[in-house]
Amino acid sequence: MIRNLFLCLLTFISIPCFSQLEYAADKIPSSLRSRANAVIREMETTVDMRAVDQVIIKVKKVVTVWNKNGDPRADLTIYYDKSSSIQRIRGQVLDAIGNVNAKFTQSDFTDHSAVSDGSMFIDYRLKHFSPIVTTYPYTVIYEYEIRNKQNLIIPDWYANPYADQSVEKNSYTFICKPNEEIRIREYNYNDKPEVLKTEKTTTYTWQVSNKPAFKSEPFAPDPDLYQTYVKIAARQFSYYGYKGSYQNWEELGKWVYNDLIKGRQSLPEQTTAEIKELVKGTDSDREKAKKIYQYMQKKTRYISVQIGIGGFQPMPAAEVQQLSYGDCKALVNYTQSLLKAADIPSLYCVVNAGRNKKSMDPDFASMEQGNHIILAVPLKTDTVWLECTSSDSPFGFLGDFTDDRTVLACTPEGGKLIKTPALSSSMNLLVRKAQLNVDAEGTVTGKLNTRFSGAQYDNYQSLVAQPYTEQLKLLKDKYDIDNINFNDFKLVQDKGTPPHTLESFKLDIQKYAAKSNDLFYLELNAFNKTRNIPEVRNRTLPVYINRGFTDEDELSYELPEGFKMEAKPENKRIISPFGTYSSELKIEGKILTYKRKFQLKDGNYPAAQYQEFSNFMSNVNIADHDKVVYKLN
Amino acid sequence: MKYFYLILFLMVCSVKSMAQDFKFAGISHEDIALKNTVLDSNANAIVLREFGTAMMDHNDADGRLAIEYLYHVRIKIFNKQGFESGNIIIPQRINDDLEDEIRDIKAVTINYIDGVFKQTELDPKKIFREKRNKYSAATKFTMPNLMDGSIIEYTYRMRIPRIFNFKSWEFQSGIPKLHSEYIAVIPGLYNYNVSLKGAMKLSSSNAELQKECMRISGTNFDCSRMTYIMKNVPAFIEEDYMTAAVNFKSAINFELSDYHLWNGGKRNVTKTWKDVDYELVSEKSFGSQMKKKDAFKELMPEILKNTTDDLSKAQAVYNYISKNIKSNGFIGIYSETAVKKALETHTGNTGDINLSLIAALNAANLDAEAVILSTREYGLVNSLYPVITDFNYVVAKVNIGEQSYLLDASVPLLPFGLLPLHCINGQGRVINLKKPSYWYDLKASQKDYTRYNLVATLTKDGKIKGELLTYSSGYAALKKRRDILAANSVAEYVEKLDEKMPKISFGKYEIQNVDSLNLPLVEKYEIEINSYNGTSASQIFFSPFFIDNISKNPFNLNERTYPVDLGTSKETRCSIQLSVPEDFVLTGQPKDLNIGLQENGGRYMSNTTFDNHIINFNQLLQLNKPIYPSEEYLSLKEFYSRIIQTQKTEIIFKKAK
Repeated sequence: MIRNLFLCLLTFISIPCFSQLEYAADKIPSSLRSRANAVIREMETTVDMRAVDQVIIKVKKVVTVWNKNGDPRADLTIYYDKSSSIQRIRGQVLDAIGNVNAKFTQSDFTDHSAVSDGSMFIDYRLKHFSPIVTTYPYTVIYEYEIRNKQNLIIPDWYANPYADQSVEKNSYTFICKPNEEIRIREYNYNDKPEVLKTEKTTTYTWQVSNKPAFKSEPFAPDPDLYQTYVKIAARQFSYYGYKGSYQNWEELGKWVYNDLIKGRQSLPEQTTAEIKELVKGTDSDREKAKKIYQYMQKKTRYISVQIGIGGFQPMPAAEVQQLSYGDCKALVNYTQSLLKAADIPSLYCVVNAGRNKKSMDPDFASMEQGNHIILAVPLKTDTVWLECTSSDSPFGFLGDFTDDRTVLACTPEGGKLIKTPALSSSMNLLVRKAQLNVDAEGTVTGKLNTRFSGAQYDNYQSLVAQPYTEQLKLLKDKYDIDNINFNDFKLVQDKGTPPHTLESFKLDIQKYAAKSNDLFYLELNAFNKTRNIPEVRNRTLPVYINRGFTDEDELSYELPEGFKMEAKPENKRIISPFGTYSSELKIEGKILTYKRKFQLKDGNYPAAQYQEFSNFMSNVNIADHDKVVYKLN
Repeated sequence: MKYFYLILFLMVCSVKSMAQDFKFAGISHEDIALKNTVLDSNANAIVLREFGTAMMDHNDADGRLAIEYLYHVRIKIFNKQGFESGNIIIPQRINDDLEDEIRDIKAVTINYIDGVFKQTELDPKKIFREKRNKYSAATKFTMPNLMDGSIIEYTYRMRIPRIFNFKSWEFQSGIPKLHSEYIAVIPGLYNYNVSLKGAMKLSSSNAELQKECMRISGTNFDCSRMTYIMKNVPAFIEEDYMTAAVNFKSAINFELSDYHLWNGGKRNVTKTWKDVDYELVSEKSFGSQMKKKDAFKELMPEILKNTTDDLSKAQAVYNYISKNIKSNGFIGIYSETAVKKALETHTGNTGDINLSLIAALNAANLDAEAVILSTREYGLVNSLYPVITDFNYVVAKVNIGEQSYLLDASVPLLPFGLLPLHCINGQGRVINLKKPSYWYDLKASQKDYTRYNLVATLTKDGKIKGELLTYSSGYAALKKRRDILAANSVAEYVEKLDEKMPKISFGKYEIQNVDSLNLPLVEKYEIEINSYNGTSASQIFFSPFFIDNISKNPFNLNERTYPVDLGTSKETRCSIQLSVPEDFVLTGQPKDLNIGLQENGGRYMSNTTFDNHIINFNQLLQLNKPIYPSEEYLSLKEFYSRIIQTQKTEIIFKKAK
């Protein structure tokens, strides 16, 4: 009872710090209402690094939500693990005029495992709260405190992470002892932080105000290139009982190698002997590495089990040897250990993997910039890159998941930033040839061959290991043409250098050339139509094309004897800064040869050019639907 | 204490004597030699043998009954794609403080290398338990040392603290099975309704008496020992446009129907609908909630303000509940909290929301009943006898005069009387507070209907300028209203629409009835379309099929196993009136088409006329049946194919000289 009373008192006392009516929705300036589903009225994040193993994070957040789509902005999700504890959470829900409608505490939060579908197990958990309000606008006030028992990862501060949310005021304060060495990196922050030094503490404060919401746009660059955010890293750190220090990538990489990896590389003697036996008689290191990589691919499978040391430490190589599975860290560490057994040095590399290329920041070293591990094997003339989580990736091939970006190699000599090879527009090549016959009913029969390389090598990954009947079903998604049927489908992955995928099949398409009265309509580009991209009015962000490619299609149609051409398209040649397109039709006797080449270039372009890009793609789309119309006598 | 040991001893004994489990890790050379040519050459893995047994157990310490379940399986993995079968996830249910307990997990991978069997056992430290949310948890582990040709085997016991549904058994799964065997040992005191689902037949089944199989407070009871075996079970493969896999998967389900009390009396659990009616109506989280008229006493005058007749009253109540209680994402036939609490906190599960709706309708002196149903994902209900756990959703039925309306207030933006698509699944059972329950068809009260009307002029430079009018109702309107809501405003919705279609630019617009959910959504746009270029050409080709163009056949496969279930009938009409320049002469046009599916299952019509420099073009597409049997798949495919072929053809003009 006394305890309850005490709690009541606390709640009561806390009320004055939320000043009432201050958050009435109509106080929000109109500039912050445009395109906004929600507004951060006020947010203060204070990170107080009292000691390497004691970092206190206090957050106060006031968000006003305008409509249903803004509801997610009023949600609060807090992740936690063994190195952190949630001290308190409390909050209030206010109505449009700023009166308190409801209050909530930690017990109103749901608690979930943070496991996602891709992971077998993860020891992160999350607490989640969604206020339930049925009338808009409403305002939520959160106050919470988290205690971290580590300072290796200090939370980044994002001034406004969501396009549909405007910001009235958002500030970030970092407090540490005056003698503490910290590094700070501000991104797209136009000001200097306010620094306050006392005998006991140094306090840094960043603040933004009156940032309007904006429209999210297609083909936009990585938000980190224009968003305001701050990263902080401490020189001396503590993490799950490990202590260390780093100032730069070199030192961080060294720590990762020495403390997290080195002790996990020993293999059973039998395995070492097996590897030595495996590479016996092989001369070049490249060939040895290839044999070892293939041995690893055959033996292991990828399972995501992220537990212990915040998901940074690999499972010991000996354990992978015994269990034949592991996550990316474990499989890279294992492969590295196997290579070591054959005296081949290699580099454990942290990468930010994803279809969008993202590099480690060369000017600022910190722990959480990567999400995946790959292996680099430096040879005399070049470096071979290995993706160790895939059991059928070609030796030395990184697909578009990890290509063309800066990664951190963690070595005994220290961390090094190195770049993965780039797959360029001209390397990401598709070459298709088809010989087709059109009969008097408009039915098309014939055969088709395609060669995919570069980033397109993976186009058929989902089909590769499927049973034949399943492949044919999936092929109908790739060649989604009414009435199409396939025969003799063959798929070969040539893992040579450069690797390429070859497909070939026989096909028939009943009544592909549609007949109306006595006219036949035949769409020339049967298999590779480019889609339109959205138009954007008043484009604000620069244009970014992440992945370029080159497609070359050559289709020949043999028409029935005695056809009479009623209409045929003009040859097209469209040249733009974003790429080029050409299509051409040749008629020789009853053979129509249609050639199409489309190259899209990756790169950055100014915002003003978006319209031009959209027009280009639209023109390509129109040209891709060109058809001939013919009669039969 | 002695007594306690005795019980344990008995339990162990009984387990031993009953189970005819196969020997753990007793691999034969036959298993090793087995190739994936047996049963299904497409299989990446196959269940060699699977055994399960469940029996009832009384815990004298807490007086609770539970089901003791043993599972044991041996799987052969043919290749890497089959490794997925080596990741094991055992779901566990949590009900209040009671949850399924898993113990005695034993797992081993067996490889045959160089003529030697090599076993790798699962390290118990690598078994993970994960609590997902308040209702569910899972135990997960992954098999070590997998390679092509591995045989994996695992077994576990589970104690399920609910006896209402005796443990069900799935004969069919994602991989084929050579032998699947289940033994259910059910005390004679308990009677379960047993239902076998799916197309496959049992290879054998057997019932025998087992003496003294359960002991409660010193008394022994006899059991029926039921053995079900299915052999050579093919893998279950899902298809597009199908309802719940459970409707088609071969499985056996049990639901408690009645039991005898230990002292000789008998208690029916779910014998007849009469019993179920009584139970539901008197259930605290069901019938009692339907009766909570008082909760609305004070609110009612305000809610019913401006209403005149019963229909407007019902609509006002429905709107009130839809706006004031939001779904918390959980569904169910029972109220999770209670009507009053749901009203206060503005949140609840489906049960809370729709039972509140019924109570509120009753408070407005309307005749409202509850309809319990099973959603499309959950499967069809058993219509022979009541299986209460077949139902997972509740909606309201309000009767006004001769007319009945089905209402679901937990899904926003539905017009009055239309259920969301996930509820359109066979029949539901109407539960009335006073009268006996009855079956009721769950049908969409409105067609999925769209009509396009374009009146426009084709200019000499190939532009179509005019006004497009669109009417949508049923699920078509629901989808658009959801899009408008997601876009935040009508202006942003139109902006998005415009951006999505680079060939069409949108001018002035007007959208009516965005919030009047009971009326069709009417969109009016001034549009300009670049229809063709090449004004220099002597012939002009122009496609009238730019609205509602079907470029891809939704039924593109060559065979079909299960019915095609679209859920609702659908109709799209399109009419275009296009004035063309006076010097244009029509030289060709798409052939008019009028085709239908058998038994009035569907119709497609298109026709084009040209008169006085005006093209009149009409198109109609109807799919009249919500469900097409699998035999009609190829007709559907052909039907769409004909449409696609027609839509490839064009109108051809020549310029008069």
